[in-house]
Parts: sequence; C-alpha cells; structure tokens
Amino acid sequence: MSTRDLVLTALFAAIIVALGLLPPISLGFIPVPITAQSLGVMMAGVVLGARRGAIAVLIVLVLVAIGLPVLSGGRGGLAIFASPTAGFLIGWIFAAFVTGYLSERLVNHQQSGLVQTVSFFLTAMAGGIVVLYAFGITYLATVAGLGFTKAFVGSMAFIPGDVIKAFVAALLGRAVMVGYPLLPSRA
Amino acid sequence: MQSLYVEGNSVMHRLSPRLKLLSLTIFGVVLFISGNLILLSIAVLLTAVLYRMVGLPLADGLRRLRPIFLTIAVVALFNLIFNPWQEALVPLLRLTALMLLAATVTATTSITEFIDEVTALARPLERTGWVQADDIGLALGLVLRFVPEIVGRYQAIREAHKARGLKVRPTTLLAPLIILTLKDADNIAAAIDARGIRRHVS
Repeated sequence: MSTRDLVLTALFAAIIVALGLLPPISLGFIPVPITAQSLGVMMAGVVLGARRGAIAVLIVLVLVAIGLPVLSGGRGGLAIFASPTAGFLIGWIFAAFVTGYLSERLVNHQQSGLVQTVSFFLTAMAGGIVVLYAFGITYLATVAGLGFTKAFVGSMAFIPGDVIKAFVAALLGRAVMVGYPLLPSRA
Repeated sequence: MQSLYVEGNSVMHRLSPRLKLLSLTIFGVVLFISGNLILLSIAVLLTAVLYRMVGLPLADGLRRLRPIFLTIAVVALFNLIFNPWQEALVPLLRLTALMLLAATVTATTSITEFIDEVTALARPLERTGWVQADDIGLALGLVLRFVPEIVGRYQAIREAHKARGLKVRPTTLLAPLIILTLKDADNIAAAIDARGIRRHVS
C-alpha cells in the first residue's frame, strides 16, 4: 500500500468518525440509532473502491475495539461487540468492500452523470443493504436466539432509512467522481 | 478524544493485555456453549463484580453500558414475545456477562497497550504482504489527528451555507467536505515520506 493510499484510508476513517459526532436519529421503538455512520460506510466504497474502502472501515472498528468512543453517541470499547447487533458492525467491512468492488467495475468516466449516479445507487444498495443485512441478520438470529424469520422482520424497520442513505451516497459518489476522482486509481 | 480507559491499579489493570484479550475470547466461547441458567447467572454476577473493581463511579459505569444493555434487553424482550422465557433469558444473561467483561478489559487497558497488541497480532501477517504492522499505529494516529480538523471544516462549510442563505443538505455539505479532506492526502503523504516514517517503503 502506498503512503498516499494509507493516508486516504485514514482520512476517510476520520470522516466516518466525524459523521458519528452529528446527532443520531433514533427510530422510536428500537434503540439502534440511525446514524450518518452507515452512510459513511457506503461512501467509503463509492469514493475509495473495494480495498481502500474496506480498510477505512476496518480502521474505525479497530478504534472501537481499542476503547475509543468513535461510534455515534460516543459509543466504543470492546463491549460494543457483545451487543446483539454487532453483526452489522462486522458487516460494515464487507459492505464497503462489495460497494467498492461493484463501483470499480460498473462506473467509469465515459458514462453520463445519470448512469453514474444510478450505478452508484445500485452498488451502495447491494453492499450497504444486501451484504450488510446478510451479516447483521445472521448474527442477530444466532447470537440472540431470535431465529432467522424474526431477526429478518425486526431488521426491516431500518431498510427505508438505508435506501435513503444509499441514494445520498450515490449523489456523493458522483460528486466526488467529478470533483476529485479516486476510484480509477484503485489500490 | 477521551479514551474509555480508566486510570487505576486493580488486579485487571495489572494483568497483561494479551492475557485479558485471550481470557475474553475464551470466556466468550464458553458462554456460548453453555445454556445453563444458573451458570450464566453466576457469570453475570462475577463479571459485574469485576467491572465494579475497575474503580469507575457507579453512575459513570452504568452510563457507559446503557446503550448496549438497552439493545440486549430489547432483543430479549422481542424474543420473549415469541419464545418461552428460558429461551429469552439465556441470550440476555450471556450477552450481559460478555458485555461486562469486555467493558472491564476496555476500562483497564490503555490505548498504547492495545495498539502494541494489535501491532503484535499483525506482525505474522507481514509475510503475506497484506499489511505492515507499523502502519497500523501510523494510520490510527492519523485518524485521531484529523477528526477535529474534519469537524471544524464541517462547521465552516455549514456557516458558509448559512451566510449565503443556502439550505443545508447532506449532499451540498458532505461533497465539499470529502473532496477538501481527501485533497490533503497528497501533502500528508509527501510529509510522511519526507520524514522517512515508513522505512519499509523505498
């Protein structure tokens, strides 16, 4: 990994941490805050691509594990990984990777802005929703003893918010692609 | 950024970080094998005592765990609606015990000790060419150095929006924030290389 790539991943990890300092929105009956941080995970994929995006997210999780309150609401520490929703955190790494991998392959400079935005939206949905929820729901079903159906139903409440986030990530991915393209120089 | 480490000299503070992390892993595995309610209750009691020994005031100690415990409790409650109470209680006790021990490890291990441990863990991976162990500390340091910078920049962009009477939307706010931040990467990378901090890179 070149020094530039190392710095890019660290800066993006810092952006994800900073997003957590914005106030979280709670979904009323379930105390999992809907935060801008999962938007950061999708953005890591569309802006940095597979490898650098996944490493940026991994850095955030290492910061959590070593006891820094870098998640939204000042959460942090190893205890976070004892939560029944920890599967979603682990899934972040794979979500960023898949979003980035698909972005690298589907989006290029010759396409029109609309095609780029739509492609980014689909990649963010595939990584940030399909892959992420596959991890989150599996973990919730096994560790909390909920069973797949109930874990699936319980998680559906968060899908609408995540679709909106995928849309925002797509617009941002397109904006960064115009303003400061990094995706083509993938690591 | 204030770390969750708590200064102190308890038994857990004096244990080696590696031993603590290893015990946490083994404890986690044992907890998930056992489904015995009495055994799990004892585990919760023991870990609660251990967490109390850290030296954190009771209110602070509880405040730290509230969001995680709330998630565990809500899932257990959700479970209770569909399953018999024993089946809902097992994951509740299991995750609570794990949470308490994990929080104890976090509170008694300093950031430096943790980074040393992570670096040591990554050392064998160097041979695969995926990671240079020394880069981990550098990357973590960079993140902590730049978080305040990014928050400051966010506020500056938001004020610029307000001054021009623009509506604050995530896209008009985050796009310049990301581009401005990532544009720094070249300069920072040049500074790191000029100082020869990453000696393994020619």
